[in-house]
Amino acid sequence: MTNDDRFQSLYRKYYKRMVRFYVLSFRVTEEDAEELTQDAFFRFLEAMDEYRGDAEWGYLETIARNVAYNRIRSQKTAKRGAETVDIHDRNAIPEPAAPSEPDYAQREEAAMRSKHLRDAIAGLPNGSRECIQLWLNEFTYDEIAKFLKITVDAVKSRLRDAKKILRVRLGDANALPEVEE
Amino acid sequence: MTTKSELSAANRELMAETRRTLGEPPTAEEALAYLHGDLSPDDEARIRERLIAYPELVRTLTMPFPEGAEPDHRDYLSEHEFARHWKALQKRGRRPDGGLRFWRAFGTIAAALAVVFGGLFWRAQTELKKPQAVWEQQDLYPDGQRGIGGQPNTLTAKGESYLLVPILSSDLSVDKLRAEVADAANPSRTVWRSEVVARTPSGSFVILVPRDSLKPGTYRLVVYGITGERQEPLSSYTLRVPAR
Repeated sequence: MTNDDRFQSLYRKYYKRMVRFYVLSFRVTEEDAEELTQDAFFRFLEAMDEYRGDAEWGYLETIARNVAYNRIRSQKTAKRGAETVDIHDRNAIPEPAAPSEPDYAQREEAAMRSKHLRDAIAGLPNGSRECIQLWLNEFTYDEIAKFLKITVDAVKSRLRDAKKILRVRLGDANALPEVEE
Repeated sequence: MTTKSELSAANRELMAETRRTLGEPPTAEEALAYLHGDLSPDDEARIRERLIAYPELVRTLTMPFPEGAEPDHRDYLSEHEFARHWKALQKRGRRPDGGLRFWRAFGTIAAALAVVFGGLFWRAQTELKKPQAVWEQQDLYPDGQRGIGGQPNTLTAKGESYLLVPILSSDLSVDKLRAEVADAANPSRTVWRSEVVARTPSGSFVILVPRDSLKPGTYRLVVYGITGERQEPLSSYTLRVPAR
């Protein structure tokens, strides 16, 4: 099979599914997803001579993930490097409207409560904390296992441990009821 | 009772703190090295910590990647879809001119279409009474998209006409198209103009220019898009006709 045939075959097999992969996974528009897909195939095209057989499919996957990663990373980096404005410039920062509610005492209480929760999560042993942080971000057990490079059973075990510790630290025996999972 | 959503909100704040503390997310190379187990234990822990603060990035590494579609599945690109997407891919223009040989396969399809359209156009041209031999389709790349140096599209003379395919944007939103060729040195001197033709679903636009219309020299071909009463230039192409 020539390079041309190999590329055409992969392109026809994967194009639509990669577009869908980007749309569903990263909530980008279809137009953006097509752009990412073309970008991934373009990079693949440039380097496909180095890969053959099974590695070819794996390489396409790596490139596809890489393209998405770089897109999202550049957005994150752009936000961090966003333009700053002088806080004394009245035109740059409109006066915030006076909050109607909650009142100061309620806000303070909510802030303290939030800090209490953050400290509880941050104080977990690393393995349990990583699991629960990913779980709180709606990752599946399989995804957590893949990312942490552990088994799904290990993920479940670490999550159970994390929840137990959190219940104790929060003084809330009913925290994170199992039905929520 | 502490709920998952309450803890999730606290976790978002915790991640924001971590991002402020640890700085920029890992690079793609670092992330892939982490995923492939190519890092030392210390580096692995460091990259993992930073990645967890950016769950969208973690998702790019963990989301299940789709399998390829079988040829009889609707997700498998048809010849037509493939040709359209391939054209868009080519427009990225970063690829060396050497090109893939399978362009010829696409070229064959495009040439077949071109001959059909060319034939129709040919019949419509009253000045072209005599049979003509069409030998070769020539893709024209717009000015500004031909890479470093931007050499003009050099027409090769085979047969009695030039069969030209100006490469247009794939997302055209016009109803009709027409083209004009003017002397590059004297733009007011139009040497040839096409009929107005309806835009095809694929966006292909094929023109057949009698060879006698273009003496050796440099020309500017402009493709116009027409919607209702409105007409606007879409792309221009510098053409060079070498001495015979």
